Amino acid sequence: MPYSESEVGSRQPSVENVSIDGLFPSEVVVPGNAEEMAAFLAEATALGRAVSPVGGGTALNLGNPPERVDCVLLTQRLAGIIDYEPTDLVMSVGAGARFGDVQAVLAEHGQRLSLDPPGGSDATIGGLIATGRSGPLRYSAGTLRDLLIGIAVAHPSGTVSKAGGMVVKNVSGYDMPRLYLGSLGTLGVVVSANFKVLPRPRAEATVIAVYDEPAKAFAAAGALRESREPVAALEVAFLEGAWHLATRIEGRDETVAAVAARIASRTGGDVTRLEGTASADWWVSYVAKHQVSDDENTVLVRCGARPKETAALVSGMLAALNQIGIVTPYLAASPGLGTVIARLDLGSEGSAGLLADVQGILLGLAETVTIQAAPPSWKHGIDVWGRLPEGFDVMRSLRTQFDPERTINPGRFAGFL
Amino acid sequence: MDRETLVEKLRDVVGRDGVFSRPADLLVYEYDGSVDGAVETAAPSAVALPTTAQQVAEIVLLARQAGLPVVARGAGTGLSGGAVPQRGGIIISLTRMNRILEIDREDRTALVEPGVINLELSEETLGHGFFFAPDPSSQKACTIGGNIAENSGGPHCLKYGVTTNHILGLEVVLPDGRVVWTGGRSTGYSGYDLTGAMVGSEGMLGIVTKALVRLMPSPEATLVLLAPFPDIESASHATSRIIAAGIVPAALEMMDNLTIQAVEPAYHAGYPMDAGAVLLIEIDGGADDVRGTGQEIEAICIGSGATEVRSATERAERDLLWKGRKMALGAMGRLAPNYYLHDTVVPRSKLPATLRRVEEISRDFDLPIANVFHAGDGNLHPLMLFDRRVNGATERVLEASKEIITYCVDVGGALSGEHGIGTEKRGYMTLVYSADDLAAMAGLKNSFDPAGMFNPEKVFPKGYMCGEVRALRMQAMAQKLGIHAL
Repeated sequence: MPYSESEVGSRQPSVENVSIDGLFPSEVVVPGNAEEMAAFLAEATALGRAVSPVGGGTALNLGNPPERVDCVLLTQRLAGIIDYEPTDLVMSVGAGARFGDVQAVLAEHGQRLSLDPPGGSDATIGGLIATGRSGPLRYSAGTLRDLLIGIAVAHPSGTVSKAGGMVVKNVSGYDMPRLYLGSLGTLGVVVSANFKVLPRPRAEATVIAVYDEPAKAFAAAGALRESREPVAALEVAFLEGAWHLATRIEGRDETVAAVAARIASRTGGDVTRLEGTASADWWVSYVAKHQVSDDENTVLVRCGARPKETAALVSGMLAALNQIGIVTPYLAASPGLGTVIARLDLGSEGSAGLLADVQGILLGLAETVTIQAAPPSWKHGIDVWGRLPEGFDVMRSLRTQFDPERTINPGRFAGFL
Repeated sequence: MDRETLVEKLRDVVGRDGVFSRPADLLVYEYDGSVDGAVETAAPSAVALPTTAQQVAEIVLLARQAGLPVVARGAGTGLSGGAVPQRGGIIISLTRMNRILEIDREDRTALVEPGVINLELSEETLGHGFFFAPDPSSQKACTIGGNIAENSGGPHCLKYGVTTNHILGLEVVLPDGRVVWTGGRSTGYSGYDLTGAMVGSEGMLGIVTKALVRLMPSPEATLVLLAPFPDIESASHATSRIIAAGIVPAALEMMDNLTIQAVEPAYHAGYPMDAGAVLLIEIDGGADDVRGTGQEIEAICIGSGATEVRSATERAERDLLWKGRKMALGAMGRLAPNYYLHDTVVPRSKLPATLRRVEEISRDFDLPIANVFHAGDGNLHPLMLFDRRVNGATERVLEASKEIITYCVDVGGALSGEHGIGTEKRGYMTLVYSADDLAAMAGLKNSFDPAGMFNPEKVFPKGYMCGEVRALRMQAMAQKLGIHAL
């Protein structure tokens, strides 16, 4: 093997124990550049070894339990800012760069990546691309899908391919970056990525209204949407035993204050207003709750419905889960997106069978259901990605074209690809 | 299957009035909006105009049986030859699938057929307080299906993004005749993002038969500013300062003096004839925000040398200021019988140097070049003016065009910002992509269409796809059986 564990850098404290759903690799490699990474993938492919790429390790629980993990590939040495031209509003960065570090560099120039993903500062750019995560800002700013303008990927064939570029409009050939986004590394490992960046809003504020029942929170959210107020994020959440409607406003100083005042007068409920860093900090801790806890009996699910059916999905979920005795200590919904994230406490009765029942119930209520995290032993027997998508055989062909020996993350992705 | 049988079978699928097969009727389908002579073509065996996804699927199955390629086509406004057949076959014209099936206010989506005209969708949704953001200059004629195939942009993509940012799901006919949905009304669909792969794939992966698109709420206020500058340099400088101030306008367009010479006498939009360049800037959002941002932009423009800044808030006034920009191509006939519209992108900071290079190329090749472009995102549209009746003029234009592309790629730009590769630029693909880069794209193509049946010989350098070699053999066999290009 060209690389050894001794090359592991100091920034990966838990590397000694890194495991994927309880499987420990026999080897950890830390390539120093794209070519080394591709050569390693080709070698693993030739030897029939299974490789799991790891970035910040903030979403290792995502996906089906891998069939095998012979080797963990760390991207941490590919962590540099490759190119950043503030006046062009574009940035190229290594896959191993931490999201927090990237945002800090951008902030020095009054810019940002408009993204607030679970995993926060510790997540790496490559990991965020592989898992396609986004947060509440999606409501106004979209996801990485809308920001990614170029990519370089190391493939199991031993090659490195690039696509897109450092310009914000580009239709030179197929739009490959979107294909890799959210593919959990199954088509190749991200080496570097280019993004569209945006000016940081000059001011921000958050209006939080508290209600005694979800229907009131959703009704207020619906009225806000109908009012067309310029809102950056809009969430209905069950926090600390009460229903909250949280509205984030971003923009010019004078308008943020005016919009926040209008919204506060409109939402009803018990209202709190936060401004500046207090507002930003509230969202950081809010998104942190979307992360998996270490609690062994906790399951994190993400459901999707038509936006207008969000309230119905939430009440349906709570009723159905309650009926089988499952407690939902935390739930966050984006009424403008139709997304619901819930933490379920399966208690001491938790088992693979119960998780399968829960998934079945949720699939009856929502269009999309992803079990984002669960104790590994419970995940056997279901596909945590939920429904098999239409056109799945095209997806299988893609996997075969890019990774014929299923070297990277075998069995972890949708349909056990 | 001989040609008569094929035509009969197509008539069985789409009706007698849904098939064109006479040479005179087919001729127009050898062309699109690209310059005659810049792209190669081969007449189709027949053109079919289906009205349902099922009919599209049946036509695809017929083509499979006959061993013929299939080329999907919208309004034919493409500028890179994407809809022009290279090996004949069946053209599926989607213009009769032109219904807006649903506008959903609460979900902020529209479900449309591929033949819906871009501008009609925005006009139809306006009454509901929405618009469809991608607005290519051809929006009065081009179709949503074509926008998806090319991942079209337009002036407003500076703030709102390009077509792919507005497509939530697609109903697609695959090369094996199956009809599948990718993406949809919700979020979190499992598996690869096939919707993302389809958008911009130039009709080579599947044929879109329905699209679920995102609608944007109409802004409370819109302001259009027109700022004339003595020269391109000062206008470019103003552009950089606006972006550096943390402002992202909805649109930021530049036109040079030659363009003004063509459009002002045609439309009387009020562009000063002696200006070296004008910036057309649109901002939108809440009324307060727009007012404040407008004042800031005005100050930046004046500080950068603008001779005045005119502003328009009312629809009619705004439309007039925009008219000169949106209809610029139509006015070029005042300057020369033909034009070749180029489309490349450079990083915004490289714009002034690129424009100087374009000017040099204009001198070197003795070709007038008008510049009208999306300054905000670095997307250039040099318009080369010529007379194709002059011997060698088209060749000279293509040579000059190659110089411009090579320069743009050298400074870190892209081959095309919104027109696509088609056949026009397939020869340049190796300027930016290595064999490994192209192999990854071929991996995508082969996953959808291993036989190379959909829109062959596009995007990839000529003769690149091994699937195409196989398809060529199919073509030879088809010709032996009596089905051949006219």
